[in-house]
Amino acid sequence: MSDDAVDVGEYEDVWVFVEEHGGEVMPVSWELLAEAAKLTETTGDDLVALAIGEGLETVADEALARGADRVLVADDPVFEPYRADPYGEQFRAMVEERKPSIVLIGGTHTGRDFAGRVAVPAHAGLTADVTELDVDDEGILQARRPAFGGDVLATILCEEHRPQMATIRPGVFEAAAPDPERVADGDVVSVDVVVDEADAISEVLEREVGDTADITEAERIVAVGRGVEGDLEPARRLAEALDAELAASRAAVDEGWVDGARQVGQTGKTVRPDLYVAVGISGAIQHVEGMNKSGTVVAINDDPNAPIFEHADYGIVGDLFEVCPALADRLEGEPIQEVTG
Amino acid sequence: MTWTIAVGVKQVPDADEVGIDPDTGRLDRASAPAVMNGPDRHALEAALTIRDQVGGEVIAMTMGPPNATSVLEEAVAMGSDDAVLISDRAFAGSDTWPTSLTLARAAEALEADVVVCGEETTDSSTGQVPPGIAAHNGWAQLTYAEAVDARPEEGRLAARRDVEGGYELVAAELPVVVAVAFGEFDPRPAPLHRKIYGENDFEPTVWDAEALGIEDEVGLDVSPTSVGRMETVDPVERKGEVVDEVDGLLEPIAEVRA
Ligand SMILES: Cc1cc2nc3c(=O)[nH]c(=O)nc-3n(C[C@H](O)[C@H](O)[C@H](O)COP(=O)(O)OP(=O)(O)OC[C@H]3O[C@@H](n4cnc5c(N)ncnc54)[C@H](O)[C@@H]3O)c2cc1C
Ligand SMILES: Cc1cc2nc3c(=O)[nH]c(=O)nc-3n(C[C@H](O)[C@H](O)[C@H](O)COP(=O)(O)OP(=O)(O)OC[C@H]3O[C@@H](n4cnc5c(N)ncnc54)[C@H](O)[C@@H]3O)c2cc1C
Repeated sequence: MSDDAVDVGEYEDVWVFVEEHGGEVMPVSWELLAEAAKLTETTGDDLVALAIGEGLETVADEALARGADRVLVADDPVFEPYRADPYGEQFRAMVEERKPSIVLIGGTHTGRDFAGRVAVPAHAGLTADVTELDVDDEGILQARRPAFGGDVLATILCEEHRPQMATIRPGVFEAAAPDPERVADGDVVSVDVVVDEADAISEVLEREVGDTADITEAERIVAVGRGVEGDLEPARRLAEALDAELAASRAAVDEGWVDGARQVGQTGKTVRPDLYVAVGISGAIQHVEGMNKSGTVVAINDDPNAPIFEHADYGIVGDLFEVCPALADRLEGEPIQEVTG
Repeated sequence: MTWTIAVGVKQVPDADEVGIDPDTGRLDRASAPAVMNGPDRHALEAALTIRDQVGGEVIAMTMGPPNATSVLEEAVAMGSDDAVLISDRAFAGSDTWPTSLTLARAAEALEADVVVCGEETTDSSTGQVPPGIAAHNGWAQLTYAEAVDARPEEGRLAARRDVEGGYELVAAELPVVVAVAFGEFDPRPAPLHRKIYGENDFEPTVWDAEALGIEDEVGLDVSPTSVGRMETVDPVERKGEVVDEVDGLLEPIAEVRA
């Protein structure tokens, strides 16, 4: 046991970070709250939500409605907009004072940005990008996460240090519906704000939040890849004919064709629609990892050797600029058109 | 004033070459050739971009076994001025806590103004090392950086950060740790003369844990996390049917929508 190992018995409660930006809560926060409720059923701990920001009354009430026993709020203008240093410092102070056993944070860019600023000074274990969670009789979190691009599922343990922290991949767990009746039974605790603007080492000069679409709940998805070469029209039409959400590979997002909120994969969202149509996507392992919980997978690609066909139930080898419109036509009840394939 | 820009580069098994061991049926990572983590090329490009903006020195650093020298040679070929191999048996079993401590101490020893890292690695892909370096040193950080803008007159570096559904422009005081969004910096090709220099004449500086004064703060013992079971993930079973015409898709689609 190392010097920094702690008396694990002193630590209790399961904490869930509620990530909000300007009053808008990231859906992963509610997914975590629902999943953490299962953990506290086993451990008997309280389920505590934690929110950092400015003007958090509504957010705090919603956290209670969604299952928290208690909400800790650090409410101050210094936290809006988000910055790693004030968030990390505040979160760390709360952890060190209140000693939670488990701390779950959404694996968004924000969550993954500041989690280390809590875990490092607290000498806490921090497991990245978890997709399966469990807790044993001794309260040890069994955090499972994909590694090696998704080839391996590793169980990461943190036995001698506390808290046991983890960032959780968005879209993997299902959010629980809010129950307004719960609000009256819960506590909202306002905590001391320990950070001061004068100590900040970073400054947000501009911030633009655009498309914050939540593709994780979509029943049908049409996803585009580099193969669409910047022309989203065929895929958009197909999506309309299927009443589907548009999503994308990382390549299509990096090219700037589709907003990052719609990215599927290891560094994007995990989706589980009934139907997933991959259009001009090669099927890299980092992409497949985010879509392999889908029901039926259809691939449209002009390369018969593209790996995506191994991850699809139905494939059609052909030019997406012909296949997509033809399929849309048929779905809209148009007569058959010639398609080369 | 010019800047010292340290870049973290990690050696990883070549993701495209990881095969299945015919005897055990398990993934065989040991026989895959070791290469530079792909996202670290983008980090190097960002570091060279910053050097182009302010002048100074780019120094590649890797923590790994002695043969990780090859990724440093590659970094030097791409344009790094110098490189450091941080190698010690004591590092075995390190999770991201001691790994980021080691790189944090190395960055201090190099008197780095900026540390540039990749978004995450292709092996354990935690993305936790860059914020960890910043946290150990109490430095600022700019993760998911898509563009960098050195502002020496302000003593700051600004970056355009990719945030969910948008972007932000953030300026941070030096010293700062930057983690570069994968795919946003097109790595420049290494000129032939640099490749030859890197492979034949270049020798990295070598540091062990003691040189950084952290011999009691690394390895398995100080790592809060440990890797328990590792299971190979079976691919999801799919029908794999290829249809010749779009009409072949209508029925399966109709079934899903029913
Ligand atoms: C650390 C890390 C994390 C990553 N995370 C993710 C992630 O979260 N999500 C993700 O998607 N990727 C991720 N990637 C990137 C991933 O490795 C691939 O590079 C990416 O998925 C490729 O995108 P693509 O399939 O759109 O493009 P490509 O691989 O370029 O494929 C384009 C496909 O389109 C086909 N095509 C071209 N023209 C046509 C046409 N006219 N008609 C039909 N088909 C056509 C081609 O045959 C090809 O198969 C990650 C990589 C790393 C290293
Ligand atoms: C299957 C598996 C799962 C793991 N899960 C966890 C976990 O959840 N939590 C945890 O704390 N540890 C974990 N570890 C341990 C972790 O892999 C090591 O600490 C590793 O050395 C650093 O993490 P990374 O590769 O994820 O780096 P990342 O944080 O993904 O790397 C980001 C960037 O930091 C720089 N960098 C990272 N490592 C080095 C290096 N050695 N030298 C130079 N630059 C570097 C590079 O620029 C890189 O692009 C795991 C290990 C395995 C085998």
